[in-house]
Amino acid sequence: VSSRVSQKQAKRQANMVVRQQLAKEQRRRKMMVGVGAAALILVAGLIGWGVYSGQQPTSFATPAHATSNADGLIATTGPVSVEIYQDYMCPHCKEFEQSAATTIDQLVKAGKIQLVIHPVAILDGASSTRYSTRAAASAGCASDGNKLLAYNTALFAQQPEEGGAGLSNDKLVQIGGTVGLTDASFGSCVTGGKYLTWVPHVTDEASRRGLQGTPTVYVGGKKLDEPSAASLTAALAAAS
Amino acid sequence: MPRGTVGCGCVIDMTATSQEPAGTHPPGRWGGIRPWLGVVARVVLAGVFLAAGGSKVGDLAASGRAVNAYRIFSYDVSTVVGAVQPFVELALAVLLLCGLATRFAAILSAILLILFIAGIASVWARGLSIDCGCFSKGGALAAGQSPRYGIEIARDVGLLALAAFLASYPRTPFSLDRRLLGMEAQ
Repeated sequence: VSSRVSQKQAKRQANMVVRQQLAKEQRRRKMMVGVGAAALILVAGLIGWGVYSGQQPTSFATPAHATSNADGLIATTGPVSVEIYQDYMCPHCKEFEQSAATTIDQLVKAGKIQLVIHPVAILDGASSTRYSTRAAASAGCASDGNKLLAYNTALFAQQPEEGGAGLSNDKLVQIGGTVGLTDASFGSCVTGGKYLTWVPHVTDEASRRGLQGTPTVYVGGKKLDEPSAASLTAALAAAS
Repeated sequence: MPRGTVGCGCVIDMTATSQEPAGTHPPGRWGGIRPWLGVVARVVLAGVFLAAGGSKVGDLAASGRAVNAYRIFSYDVSTVVGAVQPFVELALAVLLLCGLATRFAAILSAILLILFIAGIASVWARGLSIDCGCFSKGGALAAGQSPRYGIEIARDVGLLALAAFLASYPRTPFSLDRRLLGMEAQ
């Protein structure tokens, strides 16, 4: 009888050892799966950071008449600064440009404002050819040719539809021609993409300043709540 | 007990452990439906993260600007968050779809969703008018567009419920967990 009892005990013990080993193996596997999954997430995050860092241009050429930190183009000089953040693909920027054009023209002619254009590119996704960036870069070329304001107006007048291919570089060169940018250097500047890497810098600096959308207008360093000819005039009256 | 059944007894014991332990196996219809609800939760969450990550991964600079629009982090921190987040969302979608480390993936989903809800609530409380950038490039809303923070938060709360369910019951059919860890996974 006693040998039967000890046999039973031995069997029970053996079972327990097997079970414990199985549980241990199970825990080990679970941990490996967990560690692997955590590593996958971590690596994915690092890849994202790496890809983004790789996309950032390390150097850029600065157009003529740029601001001191190269985040915009000084179109005209005057006592009060008017800074316009705009995207050439943005319909509201076109509306603002067209509704305020007469007012701005008068102010510029009277030498009352320092007009700074910040051609940002936040709507590259709205065209298949990154029109926002290409158009903004071409504004840099127009600044080189001392015809920024006229080119700016002409570019908005021909704004392409959102969701399409945008205007081709050749078309941009042609638009430049209509405002007197007939020099071959303008053409090669646009088609050669001379300022394509400058545009992300403009956009970055704008975001750093708190740009939420376009158009955004600062008069004398103060942001307009609703950019329009009327609010621009009112802010100028308050600033001078 | 006759000698012949000693080895057999061991086998029987092992079979017992490899089945769902008595007591945790829910009887009736709920027990049959629950694992399949888990599969639904996995697929829905994976689909959402796939769409969210996929919509942002093509323009990481825009993703950073969308984070910046919340005005919670500095711009430089926002760019890092904006670059990392879409890839994490895509990796998470892969884990959920494959059913790999399901509980870990469900908890991470829940943490992300809680952060998203907190972010949207914070924007709402501060009266900012932005696109949440959940499935898009985000940024400020155009004049005349009104934000839909309530709907966005409700959607994220619903997804959070799915993630919590999956974290509680991570055992699901058609999962790598089941392949790698057996029926007793988690």
